[in-house]
Amino acid sequence: MSGSIEVENLSKVFKVRVRAAGLGAAMRQLFSAPTRDAVAVDGLSFTIEKGERVAFVGPNGAGKSTTLKMLTGILHPTGGDARVLGHVPWRDRTRLAYRIGTVFGQRTQLWYHLPAADTFALLARIYDQDRAVHQRRLSALVDAFGVGPLLDKPVRQLSLGERMRCELVASLLHGPEVLFLDEPTIGLDVTAKAVIRDLIRDTSLQDGSTVLLTSHDTGDMERVCDRVLVIHRGRLLLDEPIAALRKNYIRRKVVTLLTAEEHVTVDLPGVTLVEKAPHRTVLEVDVDLTPIEQVVQAALQASRLRDLTVEDPPMEEIVQAIYASAEAQP
Amino acid sequence: MRYVAVASVAARQTLSARGAIVARAAFYVVVLLIFSRLWGAMSGFISAAEFLWYLALTEWTTLAMPHFYVGIEEDVRRGDIAYRLARPVSYFWAKFAEGMGEVLVRLVVLAPVGLVAAWGFAGGLPADPRGLLLAVPLALLAAAVLVLIQIAIGLSAFWFQDASPSHWIVQKLLFVFGGLFIPLDIYPEWMQTIAHCTPFAPLVYGVGRSAFGFDPAAAAQTALLIVAWGVVLLGLVGWLYRRSLEVLNVNGG
Amino acid sequence: MKATLRFLRALIATNLKASIALRGAFWARVVFMMANNLIFFVMWWVFFERFEEVRGWRLPDMAALFGICAGAFGLAVVFGGGVRDLSRLIVNGDLDSFLTQPKSPLLHSVASRSEASGWGDFVTAGVLLGLSGYLTPLGVPAALLAMVCGALVFLAWGVMVHSLAFWAGDTSSISRQMWEFLIAFSCYPKTIFVGWLKVVLFTLLPAGFISFLPVELVRDFHVGGALAVVGGAVLYTGLAVLVFRAGLRRYESGNRFGVRA
Repeated sequence: MSGSIEVENLSKVFKVRVRAAGLGAAMRQLFSAPTRDAVAVDGLSFTIEKGERVAFVGPNGAGKSTTLKMLTGILHPTGGDARVLGHVPWRDRTRLAYRIGTVFGQRTQLWYHLPAADTFALLARIYDQDRAVHQRRLSALVDAFGVGPLLDKPVRQLSLGERMRCELVASLLHGPEVLFLDEPTIGLDVTAKAVIRDLIRDTSLQDGSTVLLTSHDTGDMERVCDRVLVIHRGRLLLDEPIAALRKNYIRRKVVTLLTAEEHVTVDLPGVTLVEKAPHRTVLEVDVDLTPIEQVVQAALQASRLRDLTVEDPPMEEIVQAIYASAEAQP
Repeated sequence: MRYVAVASVAARQTLSARGAIVARAAFYVVVLLIFSRLWGAMSGFISAAEFLWYLALTEWTTLAMPHFYVGIEEDVRRGDIAYRLARPVSYFWAKFAEGMGEVLVRLVVLAPVGLVAAWGFAGGLPADPRGLLLAVPLALLAAAVLVLIQIAIGLSAFWFQDASPSHWIVQKLLFVFGGLFIPLDIYPEWMQTIAHCTPFAPLVYGVGRSAFGFDPAAAAQTALLIVAWGVVLLGLVGWLYRRSLEVLNVNGG
Repeated sequence: MKATLRFLRALIATNLKASIALRGAFWARVVFMMANNLIFFVMWWVFFERFEEVRGWRLPDMAALFGICAGAFGLAVVFGGGVRDLSRLIVNGDLDSFLTQPKSPLLHSVASRSEASGWGDFVTAGVLLGLSGYLTPLGVPAALLAMVCGALVFLAWGVMVHSLAFWAGDTSSISRQMWEFLIAFSCYPKTIFVGWLKVVLFTLLPAGFISFLPVELVRDFHVGGALAVVGGAVLYTGLAVLVFRAGLRRYESGNRFGVRA
């Protein structure tokens, strides 16, 4: 029992009612409802160590939320095994609840018409927290998350970003060892997303807590996590550190050239023009065909370079590429 | 002709809300059950069966009234009523058709429920069952006027922001001065006088008393009263329209 | 156990605080309910003016009965207002947030809402019981006991009818209607219910334990009656907990209607 989260061959099959077409079938359904099996999670296995920050990435219906529900004890699996902090979640739900924190992006723990401070006070009673410990933890979190001025305003008056910060404080008050986040930045604007991501990462680094985050947004994955589990149709497609993902899955780089000349042309195999504007040229380079140094040399020879940027393509693209290759296989 | 189409769409929508229909029918049966026991316990003083049939008729009429002021209130609040009010006649008739579509479905669906339940609990039809037939056109007229009331309530949202208190007040007035549970004849004299000055008496009591006997003259009188009050309400609704247009023109919608 | 009680106390305090957060709405609801009850009682006044009694039951008795019923109902929805939306909570998966926390999801979900109009009912109860003439100073604790037990039975019934959603999907309109039925049967002169219906009202639809029995604690207190009232409340509460737990097991297996993977 070494990892914070250990999952072995976890499966979940839902029985979904087949909808009847027509009155006759509907009448028959009154007596016996035919069901079909919908596989949500199919033999998932992975281990997450203490202090790791892992992203669970996948398209809609891939099984991310279902897996999260099983790991937090809300849902019973159809097969397989899992342990979180040594507890079997669906059997030990209450005891595990004291040690984990959850944030569901679409739901809130905060009482809508009351200031967040009131929810925090109630949480102390929910988690049977000692008063002194609660006070200490609360002031530390309030400082770290910068929600001091927000504490006395009714939650309904807060912006979505402010509410999310309070939501995180709420989930961390009892000092959980594992934090489960389901779409934590959904609906937030770019600045708010950045703030939330940094806060999650910093907290985990400080506390040594484990983070499991599900998201559509690859930005969440990049900024917060060090490792990514790609899920597709309930199966684990990929389990890699983020750095490796970049290295192994993209053989292309994006090169942006700012030149004194109005235009510059780099004509090498594997180099495609992506964007052309006066003094600005963006190229996509297939590094399997032409190494970056060659492209840069060619650019230097063909122009007076003012600025040069070499970037990885957006993570979105990487992940899309992974899904695409998965779809291509049966 | 398109108003008929509007009505039939509303009718189909009402029919599809099966949970609500079942709940309403169940409520109807339970109310009749409870009162069958109440009036049954008083059978030394009154004809319990007729009192129960009275209730069957009054509930039938008032349960037919949909809460569709809510839709109108929303139109008012959203502000797009401004465009529609520019042609007040068609908006009004469209809404009226919608209301009547729903009313008709409710009346038709609840009729057999009330019939069977009242028959079962009262142990038979009223002394002169022909009265029940008279109740049908009266209930239709009453339901039409109730739709007008709903439109007026919805329009009141122009001034009151929230129309639901008005709706609640109207419901209580129907209950008390219409004699929903207890026939007006039982009321103290002074209350009866007041009740008969309101539109609620002919709308509810006027329909219900068909259970007490076959009285075409009384039925005609009720019908006339309902129509008269209906005309008054049309005037009120028209006045509300004109005032709302003024409000809109001043505030810009 | 002690932790649960402390939690419950904090939850109730938070719930009530949220309830009065919107001042205007709060008072509007209280006043509205009082007016509502008054009008209903005016009908009883009309009835008893004309008929004087129903199998021995007179206006003061009706005032006491209605008072107990209103008091029980008011207490139930003020402290357990979450019960009225329980089926929708179940269908929308909103129980999840309660399940990830280490306290009873039943207690938590039921006591997370407060219906302000219940205070109006509670005031009505006081007024009517006072007017009934049955309330002696010594009778006040008995009346409160009656109302608390009645409230528990109300809540238990609410939990049971809304728990149908665990098995049958969106039952919110039917659950609500069944909740209303209990209120309806509890507010009529108990003397009119005899025979098989009376049996039903003491078993399947426990109006008997909401008002018929409890009102006797005020009219004519005796220990046997008190024990029956308390016993009934305990029994129905226990039943409700069992039903909810069974439903929760089904919820956790995830095979309810309209489940979203």
